[in-house]
Amino acid sequence: MSMRRFWLGVATALIAGPALAQQPAQAPVPGWAVGRPEGSALAPHAPRLTVTPLAEVPVAAIRLPQGFQAEVFAHGIPGARTMAEGPNGTIFVGTRVIGRVYAVTRNPDGTTRVRTIAQGLTQPNGLVMIGNSLYVLAVNRVLRYDNIEANLDTVPAPVDLTAAFGLPTEQEHGGNHHWKFATLGPDGRIYTNVGVKCNICEFDRDRFALLVSFNPDGSGRRIEARGVRNSVGMAHHPVTRELWATNHGRDWAGNDTPNDTLIRVRRSGEDHGFPFCVGDWRDPQYNAGRNCSEFAQPAALLGPHTAALGMRFYTGTMFPEQYRNQIFLARRGSWNRERLSGYDVLVAHLDAQGNVTRLEEFMTGLRDDANQKFLDRPVDVHVMRDGSLLVSGEQMGAIYRITYRR
Amino acid sequence: MRLRSLVAAAVLAAALPGTAMGGDPARGAALAAERCAACHGADGRSAMPDIPSLAGQQPGFTTLQMILMREGIRRVPAMQPFVEGMPDQDIEDLAAWFASLPPGPPQDRRPRDAALLAAGEALIGPRNCAVCHLPSLAGREQMPRIAGQREEFLARTMAGYRDGRRIGADPQMNGAVAGLSDAEIAALAHYLAQQD
Repeated sequence: MSMRRFWLGVATALIAGPALAQQPAQAPVPGWAVGRPEGSALAPHAPRLTVTPLAEVPVAAIRLPQGFQAEVFAHGIPGARTMAEGPNGTIFVGTRVIGRVYAVTRNPDGTTRVRTIAQGLTQPNGLVMIGNSLYVLAVNRVLRYDNIEANLDTVPAPVDLTAAFGLPTEQEHGGNHHWKFATLGPDGRIYTNVGVKCNICEFDRDRFALLVSFNPDGSGRRIEARGVRNSVGMAHHPVTRELWATNHGRDWAGNDTPNDTLIRVRRSGEDHGFPFCVGDWRDPQYNAGRNCSEFAQPAALLGPHTAALGMRFYTGTMFPEQYRNQIFLARRGSWNRERLSGYDVLVAHLDAQGNVTRLEEFMTGLRDDANQKFLDRPVDVHVMRDGSLLVSGEQMGAIYRITYRR
Repeated sequence: MRLRSLVAAAVLAAALPGTAMGGDPARGAALAAERCAACHGADGRSAMPDIPSLAGQQPGFTTLQMILMREGIRRVPAMQPFVEGMPDQDIEDLAAWFASLPPGPPQDRRPRDAALLAAGEALIGPRNCAVCHLPSLAGREQMPRIAGQREEFLARTMAGYRDGRRIGADPQMNGAVAGLSDAEIAALAHYLAQQD
């Protein structure tokens, strides 16, 4: 991507801002720090982008319900986040800062092999597999790697679909919430997020804070949901085909407000309330006199600043019947909170009408409350064909596999 | 030196939430003597114009930048032969070694210019430098120590961020220096270089 274009975007944004035009010597604080109270030392946790030796992968700390076990499926994958599986069983893994896409395959002896199949990309976090083609969404760039599983050692140049998708660029996002999550809908369309271009601000509600879908060639953009601040996890219900998504609440509005949410899109295009409301919680600065009942209500509240990310419906048969078609979702864990929250995997249990009846803390042990430390940061979940569940750990560059034995 | 390295490592481990960075400063010292010292200085204080000092640098910053260079995301031609294919362990060991060295100004640091110093100091607050680099300007985790860095290197780096020739892991620095004049950058660089 062109840094010149990026810089022009920054310059344009600054020149366009009336307050800044009057005060040319004043720079904006970094996006994440807008609204930070005086004296607060909270800041995003630094990533780890180097290989973590197997002995330091904290699998032994993981706690699960009775009958479940965790093992290390693969490691040595710095920055491992999103997962997508190819028809031959390759697990593709997306990242953010390190700019790589990995392919994890199984050796005949059951161990795994990790290859880097793309690097130097800007935050290639959106992965979706359609047939034999891997789509990589790296901010606004959309790249299609055809017949990828047959070419893991010598990856051919991808087909560039960037112009067809026309997603907002990093500079149009002001460097905020520009990374993508992507999933394939039951209608054959690619579903993804366009996050808001700030922590919270006034913005074009037809361009940002959206869930959108496209035909795989980038045509036919459709707004699936408005007022969704930033979703980095979504999936379609295997029976009702409804779109569900996780959504991040804003920063700097208190330790316990607002909640991250689980949303259910009953109607394409419906409004979920950002920046005005989160459920019945009125934003203290940006409510603009709106009545929160006019917006779609969250299916569940997922805790303040927990960073709920990847989610999948459990469609396997290995786990007990009570988990069938229930939602597993990863909470990467908080930074914008004095005491850590999240760093776990939840199950949202649904009744026959699709109402969330219970949130179960399914995978815990990675958050050390006594010492206010974390051991790893779960980002995505993936249901394997044998019914086991993969959980990616970004901080340690590992993928955990959870199995069940009666 | 070994004791100081151990103390530095212990302090680092306590500061990082849940992240055990496995750098071995002793191994890093050997690597640095062979590959880095010629330009960055045997004591990590660069005596060469345009080459940054690394003594006392935040290990998270050194590690991140070397990885961005190795991955082809940050392009520095002079560094390319050194980072090409470099194993993660080497990077972490080098970062731990440089972090263990006492920071300090280069021997050829020029005398203070009172007017320039004052002009630079006046920009620190409005430009929000301390939000990330801390009031001490010593940095933390992936954000660098900028106090006592070589003046011309600081100026070139800030101009690079301003002009879009450099981008970090995120565009925060590009925003922080947007719109600065060359004279303002010179003043900021002088002020930062004069901090110990």
